[in-house]
Amino acid sequence: MTITTEQIHSDVAGILRNFNGREYSGDIGPETCFFADLGLASIDAVVLGETLEEHYGRKIPFHLFMADLGRRAVRDIKLGELVAFLHQHLSA
Amino acid sequence: MPRVSVEGMRFYYQQAGEGQDVVLLHGVTGNMAVWPLINMLPTLAADFRVTAYDLRGHGYSETPPSGYTSADMAGDLVKIQQALGLGPMYVLGHSYGGVIALHAAVLYPEAIAGLILSDPYFPGLRHLETSLSAWSGWQEYKEQAGRAGLQVSEEDWFDVGQLFAQTANLPPERHEMFRKELGLAAMDRLTRLAATTCGDDVKAVAGLTAERISSVRHPTIALYGEHSPFLATCRYLEANLANCRVALVPDAKHRAHEENPAAYVALVQQLLRELRFAERAGYTGGAA
Repeated sequence: MTITTEQIHSDVAGILRNFNGREYSGDIGPETCFFADLGLASIDAVVLGETLEEHYGRKIPFHLFMADLGRRAVRDIKLGELVAFLHQHLSA
Repeated sequence: MPRVSVEGMRFYYQQAGEGQDVVLLHGVTGNMAVWPLINMLPTLAADFRVTAYDLRGHGYSETPPSGYTSADMAGDLVKIQQALGLGPMYVLGHSYGGVIALHAAVLYPEAIAGLILSDPYFPGLRHLETSLSAWSGWQEYKEQAGRAGLQVSEEDWFDVGQLFAQTANLPPERHEMFRKELGLAAMDRLTRLAATTCGDDVKAVAGLTAERISSVRHPTIALYGEHSPFLATCRYLEANLANCRVALVPDAKHRAHEENPAAYVALVQQLLRELRFAERAGYTGGAA
């Protein structure tokens, strides 16, 4: 079974629309920044990783994504980057 | 998402690996995400079973109105240990996490196998840290707080409760300043703690006096940033604990895990392996 980036984007946007009680009504696109736009924090990214594993019913090496985030000078994630990461591992 | 309940309060945690137990404690206003951001869990999971959790009032753990002294949070640590079925544990605690770790060694000595104290300063040893203004990073810290619309002073640098209250009561015109400098999530974190006794509790000695600190005989590493503002505390630990040695993280201040993550992770891994080797060899240092 193959999953498209469009499908993953739609899944992630749906999860972030109301993430653990925090609603977000603005546009969510590939350029949307996790921290600057959505007001989320790194601990939310950790929990999002688990939420995505539950959603897709399989392990995702999200620790790689977190460690990459930790190495960035500007610590933020564009949704498109997360979708690309997920696509790489979900279609493996 | 994994949570463990102790006495009706839920704590968020993550666990990786197998083997002897290592528990990671973040500092006040932080959360357990500091560890995944530096790849700490997968690295240590090669040798140990590693558990990292959010302290009460932090991250995805619950926020009770009170109970934030190092004695209270040392109680959380051992109750979580019991609830998760962990054995005697090595505890790595950063900043206030280090105070909690050492307090657990005093109150529950059997629960602890060894300590890595990462840049803590202790309310019971505050007399050692009288010249924070002489620290090279002080000005930088003060300026960053200023850019966020907060005021810190050399007299009450240890009063985080004041920072919580200032954040909760920021006038609207300063919200943007704060958000730009520290991010919206930081505002949520500090405001959440302002509604608790955390600010007062973390500056309380809570029974962890200089004498009791000095009584700890567990294998202990005082892991400080080479340029930490709290090196007087580091030297005190080295001089007064029976089985303590110092390790310094190069090119780092108080937040070595962020300032020099590669060196920090490699050093922690090496130190934990050494602690375990010494334990298996039956070496008990000054306690023999």
